[in-house]
Amino acid sequence: MKSGYVANRSTRFSVLSDDQCREIVSASKEILERTGVKIFYQEAVEILRKAGCSVDGEQVRIPSRLVDQALRMVPKRVTLCNSRTGERVMHLEGYNAYFGTGSDTPFYIDPYTGERRPSSTQSVGNNCRVIDALPNLDFVMSLGISQDVPQPVYDRYQYEAMVLNTSKPIVVTANDAQGFADIIEMAEIVAGGPEKLRRNPLIVLYAEPISPLQHSMESITKLMMAANKEVPVVYTPCVMAGATVPATMAGTLACGLAESLSGLVLHQLTKEGAPFIMGGVFTIMDMQSTIFSYGAPEFHLLEAALADIAHYLNLPMFGTCGCSDSKVVDEQAGIEAAMSILLMAQAGPNLNHDVGYIEYGSTASLEMLVICDEIIGMARRIVRGIEVNPETLAVDVIDQVGPGGHFLKTAHTRKFFKTETWYPTLIDRKIYANWKSDGSKTLTQRANEKVISILESYQPEQLSPDVKQKLRAVVERAASKCQK
Amino acid sequence: MNQVFEEIKQAVIDGDDELAAELAQKVLDEGINPVEAVQEGFIKGIDEIGTKWKSGEAFLPDVMMAADALKAGLTLLEPAVAESGSQEGEPVGRIVLGTVAGDIHDIGKNIVGALLTAAGFKVYDIDIDQSAQSFLAKAEEVGADIIAASALLTTTMGEQKELVKYLVEKNLRDQYRVIIGGGPTTKEWGDEIGADGWAETADQAVELCKELVLDIKR
Ligand code: B12
Repeated sequence: MKSGYVANRSTRFSVLSDDQCREIVSASKEILERTGVKIFYQEAVEILRKAGCSVDGEQVRIPSRLVDQALRMVPKRVTLCNSRTGERVMHLEGYNAYFGTGSDTPFYIDPYTGERRPSSTQSVGNNCRVIDALPNLDFVMSLGISQDVPQPVYDRYQYEAMVLNTSKPIVVTANDAQGFADIIEMAEIVAGGPEKLRRNPLIVLYAEPISPLQHSMESITKLMMAANKEVPVVYTPCVMAGATVPATMAGTLACGLAESLSGLVLHQLTKEGAPFIMGGVFTIMDMQSTIFSYGAPEFHLLEAALADIAHYLNLPMFGTCGCSDSKVVDEQAGIEAAMSILLMAQAGPNLNHDVGYIEYGSTASLEMLVICDEIIGMARRIVRGIEVNPETLAVDVIDQVGPGGHFLKTAHTRKFFKTETWYPTLIDRKIYANWKSDGSKTLTQRANEKVISILESYQPEQLSPDVKQKLRAVVERAASKCQK
Repeated sequence: MNQVFEEIKQAVIDGDDELAAELAQKVLDEGINPVEAVQEGFIKGIDEIGTKWKSGEAFLPDVMMAADALKAGLTLLEPAVAESGSQEGEPVGRIVLGTVAGDIHDIGKNIVGALLTAAGFKVYDIDIDQSAQSFLAKAEEVGADIIAASALLTTTMGEQKELVKYLVEKNLRDQYRVIIGGGPTTKEWGDEIGADGWAETADQAVELCKELVLDIKR
């Protein structure tokens, strides 16, 4: 008998203690009661006033009991499904860490020419096909914005390009509430009706407050529509320490969290029990170059700390990793991606996005994406930890082989070496001579070859012609209204 | 040289707008030459910060706060300088700056505004989500030389084009230089819509405006 034996099922990274989490949450509640938030949408202000908030024009002060109430009402888990099979593939709860891309980059690197070009509906479609093919990517954001179509309705084209090319769950951005309504209609077509979509969610809405402490009309109308339709929503402040929130890490967390919690309160008052995923792209502004940094160590530290808070509050969380400030896929991109991916894998936000971004979120790179896919594989192996039991301790086998023998021929090795060790597909471990005879290629060169090979050979599972036609009809309806 | 000039210079470098205003008031109260106060105090201070910024010694908050201190002092001294008939303290140029309609990103615009202020321009910031009409209305009101429009979204870049078109429609295109910037914009885009300039960073925006103003004077 092993009395009180404790085992680590996985490795874990944590920044804040429970006491520190409580202190930060408490500061956020104080911010909401004392300073409040601005809400630029009258209907939302009314809902909050009726619930007991103190309203002063657009400024709404939220009593902490409403935050506590919302935290009790909101579901602690969100499930996302494969759009072709309806299979429940992602469970956003606890420390489950899933990975996916980011959304609307204005530029992408053409894998054939290496040029930085404006993204288009076609580049979005191609990118989604590559994401669909990569085993360690669980969900999809567009990795580019459709710029070749009428801009007021770009979002419908973009969703169409995505869902045609991937069966993985999709996080969408929408221009406005009407755009989001059309996307929901399209997702219902794919799911096979509104009830099926509600039961097996295929899409998540991405929306953002404006730091510090403001909620725009576009964001709020989308947030409320998501609540009413029970479509899961990621509500994510994008804050820059020193610019839109205080320069201190604790102040950044408190202010950003106050934005999230005020969004949550309104969301739960709109529809109790609707699915909500707490966001947070919390980073620093670089005070020399003025960029919103996607590679700063403070970024990863803040994201991991926010994950601690999400776990403390028992809320699903949207994290960020696999991105870089570098303009090309080089050593810097690799370093920044690896560090952030491992830290997110270990800190356990649930929906980790922006994999494949370079140039501080302005450009998408497929080479970056396939390299990150490999890094996620490595990170997942580390997170899996070490299993300790009599069979893995292998004392019997050690005794059989004895001093001076080897383990290459034991049944034990054959049984375990594949499950215990991770094998690369891009990382090079060849003997020097073989690496040389294979063309002396760098990681980025091999990544480019992998991208081209996926683009040229991989086909995602198709939607039925009928579904495709109905999707097209929604896109065209929006486009024709827009021309009028 | 008057000791107060050195104090003004330091107040600007320290980004202390209250002290800068206090010292400007002292200049007025004690009948010190306001033109000299601008030249020897305020300009010297902001020049020093500008040099340090370029060499990487000063950081963004240093520059933004120095620009505020400069603004606080100059606002008080302006009438007295004007009265003396001196050109000193006259802004290098007047710029109407804003983020276009449908776009609420303002950090980049604010930085551009601060650096232009630090470079001696008078910046009229009309804030976010502004139509072509509001850009023009402000430009007419203040007699601007340059209209500067920021757009961070591919979906709102079109508004920069609208701005140029609107000026053409109103037969006022020649009155103003139009410059554009923001994440998704490019030099090609600026050329395509007929803007007078594009800049990728706030520093380049300052250089661009300096050139355009020289050009206007020519
Ligand atoms: C912070 C941020 C926000 C904040 C803005 C807060 C604020 N107060 O500004 C919030 C969260 C509100 C936000 C909202 C949205 N955002 Co945003 N945001 C960003 C982010 C992360 C950083 C922008 C920033 O401030 N950078 C730092 C500043 C200093 O840089 P800058 O603005 O580029 O300015 C510099 C230069 O461009 C230049 N400059 C700027 N203006 C001008 C003007 C002139 C005349 C000149 C000469 C030069 C110049 O000088 C500046 C200093 O060097 C970018 C990512 C990125 N890579 O930029 C996305 C990004 C711009 N956002 C994006 C999106 C999609 C959105 C939303 C549509 C999201 C949504 N679906 O709800 C909304 C749109 C809201 C709206 N209607 O405007 C996309 C844009 C995609 C596109 N369509 O082009 C980006 C690129 C992120 C991404 N990869 O998906 N966002």
